[in-house]
Amino acid sequence: MSVVELENVWKVFGSRSADAMAAIKAEGIGKAEVLERFEAVVGVKDASFAVEEGEIFCLMGLSGSGKSTLVRHINRLIEPTSGTIRIMGEDIGAMKTEQLRATRADKIGMVFQNMALLPHRSVRDNIGFALELRGMDGYTRAQAADKALETVSLHGYGDRLPSELSGGMQQRVGLARALAADPEILLMDEPFSALDPLIRRNLQDEFLGLSQNLKKTTVFITHDLDEAIRMGDRIGIMKDGEIVQIGTAEDIVTAPADDYVADFVAGISRLKLVSASKIMVSPDAHAATHGPIDMANSYPVAGPEDDLDSLVGLSTGADLPVLIKHDDAVVGIVTKDTLLKGLQGGAEV
Amino acid sequence: MSATAVGGGAEQREIDDRDVSVGTFVQEKEPYYASAFEQVQRGTLSRWHLNIWALLVPWLWSAFRGVWVLFWISLAIDVTAIVCLMQVVKFSPLLAEAQLNPDANATLIARYSGWITIYSWIGVLMLIGGRLWMGSSANRLYYSQYARWRINVAVPSGVSMNRLVIGVMVMLIVAPLTTYRATQLRLDERACFNNIRAAEGVEALLGRFDANSTAELVSVLSSEIAQRESRLETLNALETLSDEQKSERAALRKEARDLGRDRQLTEDFSNISARDKFDCYFIDDFPTLARLEPPEDITYRRVPDEEAIAAGREGATKVIEQIKDPVEGRKVTVFTYSAESIDISINYLRAQFAGGFDAMTNVLRQSLIRVEVAFMQTPWLVVAFLFIALSWAFAGLGTTIFVASSLAFLALFELWQIAMQTMALVVVSTAVCVLVGLPIGIWMAKNKWFRWITEPILDVMQTIPSLSYLVPAVAFFGISQPPAVLATVIFAMPPMIKLTALGILQVPESTKEAALAFGASERQLLRKVELPMAIPSIMAGLNQTIMLALSMATISAFIGAEGLGAIVTSALGDAQAGKGLLAGIAIALVAMMIDRILKGIRNSFSRI
Repeated sequence: MSVVELENVWKVFGSRSADAMAAIKAEGIGKAEVLERFEAVVGVKDASFAVEEGEIFCLMGLSGSGKSTLVRHINRLIEPTSGTIRIMGEDIGAMKTEQLRATRADKIGMVFQNMALLPHRSVRDNIGFALELRGMDGYTRAQAADKALETVSLHGYGDRLPSELSGGMQQRVGLARALAADPEILLMDEPFSALDPLIRRNLQDEFLGLSQNLKKTTVFITHDLDEAIRMGDRIGIMKDGEIVQIGTAEDIVTAPADDYVADFVAGISRLKLVSASKIMVSPDAHAATHGPIDMANSYPVAGPEDDLDSLVGLSTGADLPVLIKHDDAVVGIVTKDTLLKGLQGGAEV
Repeated sequence: MSATAVGGGAEQREIDDRDVSVGTFVQEKEPYYASAFEQVQRGTLSRWHLNIWALLVPWLWSAFRGVWVLFWISLAIDVTAIVCLMQVVKFSPLLAEAQLNPDANATLIARYSGWITIYSWIGVLMLIGGRLWMGSSANRLYYSQYARWRINVAVPSGVSMNRLVIGVMVMLIVAPLTTYRATQLRLDERACFNNIRAAEGVEALLGRFDANSTAELVSVLSSEIAQRESRLETLNALETLSDEQKSERAALRKEARDLGRDRQLTEDFSNISARDKFDCYFIDDFPTLARLEPPEDITYRRVPDEEAIAAGREGATKVIEQIKDPVEGRKVTVFTYSAESIDISINYLRAQFAGGFDAMTNVLRQSLIRVEVAFMQTPWLVVAFLFIALSWAFAGLGTTIFVASSLAFLALFELWQIAMQTMALVVVSTAVCVLVGLPIGIWMAKNKWFRWITEPILDVMQTIPSLSYLVPAVAFFGISQPPAVLATVIFAMPPMIKLTALGILQVPESTKEAALAFGASERQLLRKVELPMAIPSIMAGLNQTIMLALSMATISAFIGAEGLGAIVTSALGDAQAGKGLLAGIAIALVAMMIDRILKGIRNSFSRI
């Protein structure tokens, strides 16, 4: 069972969104026509995806692509115009107010791009906010908050005001606040976008480390493809409210679904993303052009899952092509030409 | 390579291919305007390049082409020029009249001919200069409109008959009437007033004599008069008159005289020329349109209810209404009608809900007494110490010195007790303001419709002259301290409400969203997020409320508020400038002390 599951979620903004939705379903009209006929804007268009337990799912898109709108459907800060959202199998749209609040407080933590900390509360009280809302007593709350502070390596900052901390530290507080109630799900809405590059990188690494220990199911919003590739087990690319492709970083880089995605990934370094199996030539095809391989020579050997980076390492200094072996059988061969083409992109077999 | 750089290329922009050529914009005479626009762009268009149509008929040209700026400016210039020229028409007959007797009217002749010369020069210069300016500016203005149209389709373009018709209609409304007015001397206001009076009188007469038209009325009146005159003649013909006959004669004379006046009135009314009527209705003051029957003059009074008392309910009262006979033929304006209606309603409410008003008065009086006791019966040393200690603790040395010297001022001039009384009034009023204003402010922030209704009411409350508050307060509650508190509350509450609402509305949407995302309910959101974050704004509101309450302390002294204000008002009555000034300074000092101390407290508690 997936932890977060979205099924055909639509969001149409405007006072006549219901009519617009009906027309979209009945006549299949496009965005422009919806705007013209109903003065309504399609914010999310037929989005469906599922996030498995412990997975980091990145939603990537430019500003205005609807990714922030979509993520707010998961904890129902925004009501979908149509479609179903299930949290651990439960339909969040069918929840009563009380149940929804309990779900938000206990199961879903959220981190915001602008931190959105409460300026009049100490860091500790900010972190304990969700627990306080659930009526937890002050002592237990402070314990939990201090533990969360330690998790984000801000030990000892509990009595400061948010305004006394730097941007990066404030976002750690935001993260601690989301973690304090120990929720199953984390929603991260461009959490590191407002930070400068060094701190961003730092926090990314730290979050990845945390994530491996805590095993939180995470939906991570970003407009930065590098960040999406670093963080995401899988990536969903959004454009104009629509998810155009979902897949692993390698899938997206090697097989973009359309020109839009291809444009995006054009500049991404493939060294660490593409594996040998994607570029290797089969032994027969190699034999046809270069003649059979002479087993007497000591070829460099790699596995099909090894990335191009390691193949480059093997190839440099060696005159012979690299053999790709799987279970001791040669499944493919990578010559220097193949490798160079593979690095460049567009030479996938 | 970063994703954002890629994004720059991948971002899709919808550029609609609108035809923005000069041809589409001007629709007619493209070659002329294309070259003119190009010259404007290059800055080579000569100042003496005149658009001939804009020179000859600027308003028509600009309406036709939608250059409304030029339309209004040219209309204004032309009408002003014509008005100047019309002064010649106005003064020429006067000059001619004066010249009939040049010796006696030397100054008048000089004055009139001077005016005529000046006005005709101004008129001619404006007409010529204005037209030249219009002709030379037309293409530049038209070009700037073209530039705006390229950005915004909604800017008028092309040529349009509709616009031309609208332009002509505007001119027809503005120009002829204004021009005509310029030829006329100032109207005699009384003439118009008499017109209205005559119309009313004639209307009453028509009813009394059952006549359908003024002509019929005149004949009826004439016959009535003739009747009486013939009877008078018979009486006069008699040698000796009995006492009865003498009094009959006197009565007849009076009747004949009254009827004669009525006939005169009717004839005058039917002789009012159409032009006079037109002048009265259109070219001067707004005509009095409606004359209404006044509302019934009802007085409500609460009296002991004899029946109920007889039935055993002691002290029972009831409201009775007394209706006065209307004054015959009295007509009132809409203003008077509304004012009298409000009086009657206040009177009704006062009588009907006497219990409620009395209870409110009592609550206010009692709390005022308690607070006064607290301020006035606490030994002066204690109060002074508290003030100085508070300012020392929260506001620093400077403020402490200021507070100490202000207190010394009050003590030195023996205003201490009176100042404490003012303080009590301010504290009670402010407490009521907070208790009532805070919830209203919160509600205003939460409910768009309530805000929509309340905002204008608050604006009106702040704009109504503060003296006006005293009148209804007196009407409902009489003259004493409690209505003074109420008037102060009404005057001082708006900032409390407005700044509370503002503070809550200013809480960033993202912060509220975060709170909701962590499962906050509406109440928790208000209590734990919105109100704490609105505190600075609310405190600013409180501060303003206190200042306004203090400024109202003087005015409410007119209706019985005691304290420093009473000294000022009594000094005003006796023209004792010194006394008033010293009391005024004392009020200012009290206000500044409270303000500084509050500011200090606010700053030291503000964590944001």
